[in-house]
Amino acid sequence: MGKLTWSAIPFDQPIPLITSIILIISILGILAWITARGHWTYLWREWFTSVDHKRIGIMYCILALVMLIRGFADAIMMRGQQAVALHSQGYLVAEHFDQIFSAHGTIMIFFVAMTFMIGLMNFVVPLQLGVRDVAFPTFNSTSFWLTATAVLLVNISLFIGEFAQTGWLVYPPLSELRYSPGVGVDYYLWAIQISGIGTLLTGVNFVTTILKIRAPGMTLTRMPIFCWTALAASLLIVAAFPILTATLGMLLLDRYLGFHFFTTDFGGNPMMYVNLIWAWGHPEVYILILPAFGVFSEVFSTFSGKPLFGYRSMIIATMAICILSFLVWLHHFFTMGAGANVNGFFGIMTMIIAVPTGVKIFNWLFTMWGGRVRFQVPMLWSIAFIVTFVIGGMTGVLLAVPPADFVLHNSLFLVAHFHNVVIGGVLFGAFAGYTYWFPKAFGFKLDERFGKAAFWFWVVGFYVAFMPLYVLGLKGMTRRMQHYDVPAWQPWLIVAAVGAGLILCGIACQVVQLVVSIRNREQLRDLTGDPWDGRTLEWITGSPPPPFNFAVLPNVVAEEAYWDIKQIALESRRLTDLPEYKSIEMPRNSPTGFVVAFFAVLTGFALIWQIWWMVIIGLIGAFGTFVVFAWRDHSEYKLSATELKRIDGERRKARVALVEGKEQGITAVKYKGPRAHGSKQAAVTAQPDGGFKGPASKRIVTGYGFWIFLLSDFILFAGFYAAYAVLSHATAGGPAPKNLFDLKTVAIETACLLLSSFTCGMATLASSARNLRWTQIGYLITGALGVVFLTLEFTEFARMIGHGAGPGRSAFLSAFFALVGLHGLHVSIGLLWLGTMMAQFWAKGFRADIVRRALCFGLFWHALDIIWVGIFTNVYLLGTSP
Amino acid sequence: MSKHEQTAGIDDTAPGDPESEQQGVAAGVRNYLVGLLLAAAFTAASFWVASGTGLIFVPGVPMALAALAIGQMGVHLAFFLHITTGSDNTNNALALAFGVLIVGIVIAGSLWIMYHLNMNMMAPTNMLDMRAQP
Repeated sequence: MGKLTWSAIPFDQPIPLITSIILIISILGILAWITARGHWTYLWREWFTSVDHKRIGIMYCILALVMLIRGFADAIMMRGQQAVALHSQGYLVAEHFDQIFSAHGTIMIFFVAMTFMIGLMNFVVPLQLGVRDVAFPTFNSTSFWLTATAVLLVNISLFIGEFAQTGWLVYPPLSELRYSPGVGVDYYLWAIQISGIGTLLTGVNFVTTILKIRAPGMTLTRMPIFCWTALAASLLIVAAFPILTATLGMLLLDRYLGFHFFTTDFGGNPMMYVNLIWAWGHPEVYILILPAFGVFSEVFSTFSGKPLFGYRSMIIATMAICILSFLVWLHHFFTMGAGANVNGFFGIMTMIIAVPTGVKIFNWLFTMWGGRVRFQVPMLWSIAFIVTFVIGGMTGVLLAVPPADFVLHNSLFLVAHFHNVVIGGVLFGAFAGYTYWFPKAFGFKLDERFGKAAFWFWVVGFYVAFMPLYVLGLKGMTRRMQHYDVPAWQPWLIVAAVGAGLILCGIACQVVQLVVSIRNREQLRDLTGDPWDGRTLEWITGSPPPPFNFAVLPNVVAEEAYWDIKQIALESRRLTDLPEYKSIEMPRNSPTGFVVAFFAVLTGFALIWQIWWMVIIGLIGAFGTFVVFAWRDHSEYKLSATELKRIDGERRKARVALVEGKEQGITAVKYKGPRAHGSKQAAVTAQPDGGFKGPASKRIVTGYGFWIFLLSDFILFAGFYAAYAVLSHATAGGPAPKNLFDLKTVAIETACLLLSSFTCGMATLASSARNLRWTQIGYLITGALGVVFLTLEFTEFARMIGHGAGPGRSAFLSAFFALVGLHGLHVSIGLLWLGTMMAQFWAKGFRADIVRRALCFGLFWHALDIIWVGIFTNVYLLGTSP
Repeated sequence: MSKHEQTAGIDDTAPGDPESEQQGVAAGVRNYLVGLLLAAAFTAASFWVASGTGLIFVPGVPMALAALAIGQMGVHLAFFLHITTGSDNTNNALALAFGVLIVGIVIAGSLWIMYHLNMNMMAPTNMLDMRAQP
């Protein structure tokens, strides 16, 4: 069983042991309860295998809420420890304390903040776009289950083995095998890699959905701001997550195969890790906050009864942040010593990124100005956000000044700052969105009284907990201290612990709120589907929406699609005419995501404990699951027009009350002041759909999605390439490129790849001419050339390793083997894919979905050429040229 | 297989699909053949430049190699991946531009930052020799 023995279970440490026993008992209890009530079939059919974006979104949010409690448990333990640990060891031993702060950061960022935001995106975006699902529903389910896999792995570490003791970004050299020989770092690395794949798929999915699948007439400048921020966040995911995967991949190679990327010997460079991880880490911050900005935009506009002020400036600000967020990452390591001009550049860029954020703040303030503001719970969170986020933003601009950062770096001031923006921004946004969209998801509102109580406990608790940390930071207290000997710090730490206690009351109120709301759901019922007097399309359908969201896709003629339809209906006191119903096709549920996640748990766990046979079983299982999925004949089910008419009829019946003005608070009062963005009537009549005719065809959607995925792959290579470029001179006295590379082999390899691209193109042509034989011959030659390429590459690798020039010899060779090997891995995966695709063509002929996949394969294979051009130029030719 | 399975879609081309629908097999073959020849020419030129021809000023070799590589990547994009500047390809090209921008930022930024970090922090001779310190 690899490294796994009984000693992995912490019998000698009471706190984790008791916690995990309680956890296991409660999980068993829940499972027993589900079994006793016979809910398994329901859960499996309606939730676990569901590819409905709404169900997946809800599961994401539930996962995030559960993890919030786990992460908060870590937080209150740390606050308790620091409140008592003056001149003493407190109640947490150092190893345990270190694991707690590492787990707290990891869980809160990856499994609470991100998971919650992705959950809201999942639930809301297709509804707001007026469509029935995301671009790739089954991949969407897979994304969720891979996130759940990572959550499971991180929580298993509580009971079996240990978690990382290195902080949430596992900086080397501390996280290298020499200084962290245990499995803690491996738990972190594999969990994040697995959830990273899921997140990347989500990013690809949402970029494709938002750009290619929208209701007719929903042009880009008619989309709700939440969709824009979701688009920006998804673009950031696609662009940033590959860098994380590359960086953690290098650390894994260091730990598992003796590479020297970030070690302190053989030319390794730990600073490169810090550089790369923050090239992901800073965009990540905006992946979290941008969707929250979107939530606030929706809430401010709805609860002020006004269109959002400065709609277009909001779009520009969002996209400006999207790009600028890639130009500030060095401010996380000003003190590492890059010098004045580098620090100066990144300091200024950091201050510049505050400008679009400021634009947004003013837009929200002006949205409230002159509106009829309703102080309901989502609005309360939003107002608290503005105040809190502005404070956090200003301390951020302070930290962006490099000389000030030299004083405050690594202190509790920094800790206070990022909690100030992440809690005040992301978490408040999550809570606002949770309260705002809860009635849409479940058909009843959340209890208002407990919601307000939770709000006040949270906000007051936040200030009491984190304002003292600013003071402590200025007094010189560094972060992550298990104990200390400065008596002046203790009072402030006690106040902070009290604040954490207040937040605990807030969380308790939220739990009670949920229970009370479920119990009183009949009184809280949302019958019309529009409980807040909403303005965007999710409020036009029922609460909860039917699986297909819209019986007929709405026709969008201006911004605020639903508001205009509603105003017309309210003025004329009648619903729009009965539409013409047509039968539709919806994706069938699929266990693919769940089964893949099962194998991912197996693989991840086996990799952590180095149980190699289990790794192989897991990988084959996951691959086999996808093959089975790709093989299935019926991927959709049909809903007849009469069925749609019946279901939609019920929705329309419920709507009558709303239209007749009987619903409380909803009247045909139009905002009379200056409209921030008038629906330009002339343009509307000239071209009602604004040039956008509705969802694109499946071929375009599939091709575009894969294209976006390929771009993320390019960025993955960019990460490895950057490492190679930086480390290529770190030969540590070993062989240099000049006396290693054999250009003749490289030339033959290149010829193979170029020719295979040509034959792949021929196969594509043959398949569009529907000639099965030539298609297969084309692919066969392509595959054969790929095999020749791989054989040559492996021979070359073997020769080098045989001559003592393996990856463990120097950082240069590590980077070389990783970069070229990654390309080789891609070719291998391509061959595997090619094999299954040819088998599918052989068995099923030119079925539409297989032809679509062939299009993607062509893109993939040609893209590998482009990457190879980069490699042979920069690695081989530049390495050997005079 | 026609380019569009349903014509209801927006006027875009899937990445990888040739632009004009009436293109026959012969035109397709010609396109891939031209692409192959151009790519092979670029590759040959790169190898030739790298082998030290004497025709190119030696410090300019990396520049020449970079130019040839970028040219070849363009050939692959245009002839094999069919990513063009056509109006129905805007979305695909924009996505590519975004990707290229990020790739550029990550590589150039890393090199710039790491160059300075290595200069300041990894110079063992200066670190050991206290007299060299300011």
